Amino acid sequence: MRNSGPPKMLEATVAFLVPPACREEVVGDLCERYRSLGQYILDAVRTIPFVIVSRIRRTACPQMLVMQAFTFYLGLLGAAWLKDRTFVGDESGLLRLVIPVGIALLGLVLDDAYAQAGQRSQMALARGPVLGLGLALVSQAFFRAIDADLAVPGPIMLYGCALALPLSSLIRTLIPPVTDQLHQANIPADWLKLSGDWRGSSRAGLIAVAVVIAIIIIGTALVRR
Amino acid sequence: MAKSDALGQFEQVVLTAILSLRQDAYGVTIHAKVEELAQPKRVSLGAIYVTLDRMEDKGYISSWMSDPTPERGGRAKRCYRLEALGERALQESAATALRISEAVAKIWGKEWAKHWGKQWGKEAG
Repeated sequence: MRNSGPPKMLEATVAFLVPPACREEVVGDLCERYRSLGQYILDAVRTIPFVIVSRIRRTACPQMLVMQAFTFYLGLLGAAWLKDRTFVGDESGLLRLVIPVGIALLGLVLDDAYAQAGQRSQMALARGPVLGLGLALVSQAFFRAIDADLAVPGPIMLYGCALALPLSSLIRTLIPPVTDQLHQANIPADWLKLSGDWRGSSRAGLIAVAVVIAIIIIGTALVRR
Repeated sequence: MAKSDALGQFEQVVLTAILSLRQDAYGVTIHAKVEELAQPKRVSLGAIYVTLDRMEDKGYISSWMSDPTPERGGRAKRCYRLEALGERALQESAATALRISEAVAKIWGKEWAKHWGKQWGKEAG
C-alpha cells in the first residue's frame, strides 16, 4: 500500500497532460519522487513540457506536415476564391490564411503526440484533421475578439475547412503517421527512417500531392467556366 | 548499420549513468545519478526523458517495462540498458576525454592534475 503520495485529483490531472505512450513511466516516476505538494507540482511543471516536446519530435514527420500545411492552405485559398475574391486579391488576405493553417497543424501534431501507441484505425486517423481544423475554427472567434484584422471571414473558414478536411484525411489514410508505421518494428526509429520502408511512403506522398494539385487545377477550371 | 555520431556532453553523462546503474536504470535513478555526475549543475527530470528518447531512437539504448510497484502508485518503470552502439560511442568519448586530460596535464603540469583530482574528489563527497 502507498502511505503518502500526490492527491488523486492532481495525479489524474498530471496523467491527463502526459501523452499516453509515456504516461505510465512518467507519472510513476513523479509519484516516486513525491515529497510534498509544492515539490510535486514544480516537478510536474518542469517535466511535462519536455515530455510533450519529446513525444512530438518522435511522432511528427516534417514531410507530412508540409503536405498537410499545403492541403489546409489550398482548402482555405479555394474557399476564398469561391466566396470572396477581393480577399484573395488583398495582400494581407493571403497572409491571414497562414494563421488558421498553423493552428490546424498544431492540432494535428498534438493528436499524433497524444495517440495511443500502436496502429490506429482509419477513423482514428481522420480525427487529427477534424481536431486541427476544429481548433482553427474556434481560434477565429478569439482573433475576432482581439483584432478583427487577423481573423479570416467566417464563410471562408467554413468552406475552407469543408474542402481541406476530406483531402487531409485522404493523405493521412494513404500515408499513416510515423508512430503507426513504426508499430511492431523492433529496431531504433532513426534506422527505420533511413531504411527502404520510408521510400515507399515518400512515393505515396508524392502521389497524394499530385492528386491534390490535380483536384485544385480541375476545380479552378470549373469555377472559371 | 547506422554510423555512431559523436556524443554530446549530456548524452555521455546519461550513458555513464545507465552503465553504472546496470539493471536498476530507470527515470528516477538515472536522474539521481546524472545529478551526481554533473555536479554542481542541476538537471531536470524532463531533460533526462528527452535525452533517453533521442538515444533510444539512435539505437544507443533500449528499454522495457518492469512490473508495477506500490511506491509508484502501482505504476511500472521503464528500464533502460546500454546497447552495443551506445557502448562503442561511450568508449570513444571516454578515450577522447582521457586524451584531453593527458594533453592538458602535460602543459599545465602534474600539480594541475593533483589540484583538480582533489577538487573533484571533494565535490563527489
